[in-house]
Amino acid sequence: MTFLNQILAFGAAAFAIPLVIHILNRSRFKQVEWGAMHLLESVIKVNHRRFQIEQLLLLLIRCAIPIMLALCLARPVLTGATALEGDAPVSLVVVLDTSYSMDTIDTSGTRFEHAVEAACDIIESTGRGSEINVIMTGGKPTLLFDQPLFDSAAVVRRLRQQQAGLGASDMQGAIDEALATMAGMTQARRELVIISDFQPADWSRIGDESSIRQQLETLSIKPVLTLLPVGSPVNENVTVDAINFPQRAIGVGQQVDVRGTVRNHGLAPVEKVRVVMRVDGEEVDVSQITLGANSSTQVLFPCSFETAGSHTIEISASADDPLITDNRMAAAFNIWDTITVLLVDGDPSGQPLKGETDFLSIALTPFTFGRVRLADLVETQTVNPTEVNEELLQSSRVVVLANVAKLDDKQLTALTAYVEQGGALLVTAGDRLDLNWYRERLFADGAGLLPAPFGAMLGQIDGERATARIVAERFDHPTLEFFNTPANGDLSKAEFRRWMKLEQIEQSATQDDVTNSVLARLDTGDPLLLERRVEQGVVIQLATTCDADWNDLPLRPFYVPLMQQLVTTMASGLMPPRNIATGDQAVAILSGTEPGSTLSILTPDGSRRTLQTVTEGNAELARFDRTQRPGIYAMSLPSTETIHFVAETSRSESDLATLNDTSLKSLSESLGSSMVKSSDEYLRQDQLRRHGQEIWRYVLVGFLSLMVLELVLQQRFSGVRV
Amino acid sequence: MAHVSDVLTSQDIGKFANLQVLARQIVEGFCNGLHRSPHKGFSVEFKEHRSYVNGDDIRTIDWKLFGKTDRLYIREYEEETNLRCTILLDSSGSMSYTGSRSDGVSKHDYAVRTAAALAYLMLHQQDSVGLVTFNDAVQKYIPPRARPRHLRTIIDELKRQEPERETELGDVFQQMVAKIQRRGLLIIISDLFSDVNQLMKSLAHFRHANHEIIIFQIWDPDELDFPFRQWTQFASLEAAANRHLVDPAQLRRAYLEKLEVFREQLAKGCNRHRISLVPMTTDQPYADALAAYLALRRKST
Repeated sequence: MTFLNQILAFGAAAFAIPLVIHILNRSRFKQVEWGAMHLLESVIKVNHRRFQIEQLLLLLIRCAIPIMLALCLARPVLTGATALEGDAPVSLVVVLDTSYSMDTIDTSGTRFEHAVEAACDIIESTGRGSEINVIMTGGKPTLLFDQPLFDSAAVVRRLRQQQAGLGASDMQGAIDEALATMAGMTQARRELVIISDFQPADWSRIGDESSIRQQLETLSIKPVLTLLPVGSPVNENVTVDAINFPQRAIGVGQQVDVRGTVRNHGLAPVEKVRVVMRVDGEEVDVSQITLGANSSTQVLFPCSFETAGSHTIEISASADDPLITDNRMAAAFNIWDTITVLLVDGDPSGQPLKGETDFLSIALTPFTFGRVRLADLVETQTVNPTEVNEELLQSSRVVVLANVAKLDDKQLTALTAYVEQGGALLVTAGDRLDLNWYRERLFADGAGLLPAPFGAMLGQIDGERATARIVAERFDHPTLEFFNTPANGDLSKAEFRRWMKLEQIEQSATQDDVTNSVLARLDTGDPLLLERRVEQGVVIQLATTCDADWNDLPLRPFYVPLMQQLVTTMASGLMPPRNIATGDQAVAILSGTEPGSTLSILTPDGSRRTLQTVTEGNAELARFDRTQRPGIYAMSLPSTETIHFVAETSRSESDLATLNDTSLKSLSESLGSSMVKSSDEYLRQDQLRRHGQEIWRYVLVGFLSLMVLELVLQQRFSGVRV
Repeated sequence: MAHVSDVLTSQDIGKFANLQVLARQIVEGFCNGLHRSPHKGFSVEFKEHRSYVNGDDIRTIDWKLFGKTDRLYIREYEEETNLRCTILLDSSGSMSYTGSRSDGVSKHDYAVRTAAALAYLMLHQQDSVGLVTFNDAVQKYIPPRARPRHLRTIIDELKRQEPERETELGDVFQQMVAKIQRRGLLIIISDLFSDVNQLMKSLAHFRHANHEIIIFQIWDPDELDFPFRQWTQFASLEAAANRHLVDPAQLRRAYLEKLEVFREQLAKGCNRHRISLVPMTTDQPYADALAAYLALRRKST
């Protein structure tokens, strides 16, 4: 505690005055010769103790009165145990929730509007010389300014231009970013304010909040952390939770079943919800549904695409709910023209299904083979090894060498050139292989196309011994990702009677552009599928045959999708994903584009941004990382072609409940922060922290109370009724 | 030789002169009412002549003397009245208290003047008056006489009195019960600062002996309202060693409550024994108080 008028505090010494008066009174008494002593004596005898206590009480009160008066005049200020900071400048970081749930509307506006108002109030109140930055949590934690600003008005101006509706908040990331930002700030006083709707989902992801507290405490200057919740919990909300569509490559004219999952978070059913399907922005289908209380429904929209290239679909549900940002969801596709696959059959046969590539050919063109009036994505051409030439290779997107003994040098040169220019090659094993040719020419100690030389034959083709199976695991490669869903088939059911050992050789350090990876293994530990990227092309090596001679793969239901996936993935080459999470980088590989070209991107909020391409290795890449807002990003290439990316966020924030007071309090305690209900309360607390609390009013009340108490007690003790 | 004017002022005496007849009527009135006198009418023993005043029975006029002197005298006889009055005057230390509002008159002075006035009044009506002075024991006992010069004896004794020592009303009255055997009127002039129960027992003895009792209780105004404010050391007038340093404001209420209880006990006790208790305060002229009491007494008889 300090005093504004410190000198007046010494006036408290005036407490001695009543003490002296008391002592003087006792020493300078009057003497009375008294007759009625028998009345007086009995009164004194009975009340002696009480009189003493009353005298002491009155004396204490009378001594306290001048002390209180002196304290009151000295204007005491409560400061706690710390020194006052006064109007010293501050390093302020505001963590502002810009996730889509902040778009929730209540009677007085959206949560985000309240949050911005509160942030502006706090920022405007900072003293001169304060440095300020704002971190927006939506999608990916993003700084409003690259460097902290000293001009609070400029921060407020920029802040008022911001919009919410970004992806779900990453609170841990935002706090990490805030602490990193704060570490680079200069003022001795640090303040961190988190303004959010405090949804349980945002904070449950963090897990142990006390780790944040430890993070704060490890800083050299610990910031004062304040939580400012905005908005009230809401139940009603209709969302489009998910879009399900086939993960395989889709060709022109192929029918695609798109399923949208529409959810009602409310406690009351919602009727007549209009669900609209848009393809490339055009409304193509509409469905009207009724949603039960707190339930979800799938809506099916079959569609097909007439042209190849980048396309988008979007499903939106129109309902009268407080948050419309999550009433839509989109997805981007690349529609393929026909993929021509050259099947080089090393073991042809006149009998049906006896040839090496017969099963493969059927699996790749099932509709054509079944004479169904549906379009196949793949078109196959089967040739003998001797027919392979450069022209044939260049007209194919994928080449399959199935049990081919060997190629001549010219064919090999053409094949190598084909692969290096971006072609895809699938090599399968078989009993006809010339192992030496494969080892020396096609593998060539790692300088060739093959990921590994074919080794000894393993397994028993007709024995009683147990066969090998594919190890059941989670597949990371795009080719096999499809089978991570059990409904799409169980690869581990296939039985392998014979396979060839693929001898993996350690890559030399100089071969940077060559990468090998194992796509699948057998339970014997031998690799089944190996992949190798050779310049812009890809080679996949299968350790067994692609017909039914060595295994029962062709007899399994998943053979068709497996081969389709394998071929289409190889055909699509290294295509980065088009459907990304908010905040992730959208990457496009541009072929035939001049280095350093400028691209234009149309973002979901309607603004247009430009982007410079970068050269990485032999490829020209476009990288765009401002994808915090969910929606469709259209990237216009110099070739007038447009490719689409869709950034979507998890729907965890669509449950518009907020942390209740108890949970907030507990969160605040575990973070070691204070919690305020409004910017006004924050400013009051800040005022207290800076200037302390003047308490002269309370002291004055105490002083007056003591005066009245003294009067009342004196009158009461002396028997005069008041 | 003491004279009544030593004790009473001329105004006081004048006030009593006017009251003589009234007083006599009262005294006779209530004495007659109290018991049947065997000496109704005239006495056989002539005492003296005195001037006729309006209101005297014309049958008592000495017509022979009227013939000789042409003035109206009435004949008075010894034992004309049956009133024997004994005044019991408290001379204890507590009676010496002199408050600031009593014009320098102590309670004892006030009591002496009251006693003198009563003695004067009664002796002028040929009533016999006796005096007992006491503190913790009987100091002086003057038996009742009706002779006019008896007044001087009484006044001498009154003048000689100095208040000292403690009050022991109970013991003193016990002693006096034996001495005052013939029934009559007892006038007690005291502050009655004593144990109430013991006092009432003694008074009951008097009443048992068929004495009529009137108590003039003398108060100083200070004793009734306790007006002290600053720190005060109260020293007992009766026992010098008894001293108390107190803040009077603090104990005023308790004192007044105690006083009220004391007065109530006295009033109840007196009422039970049919004793007249007349409180008198020293800031009131004692003659006024006396006259007011006598006037009240007449109304009630």
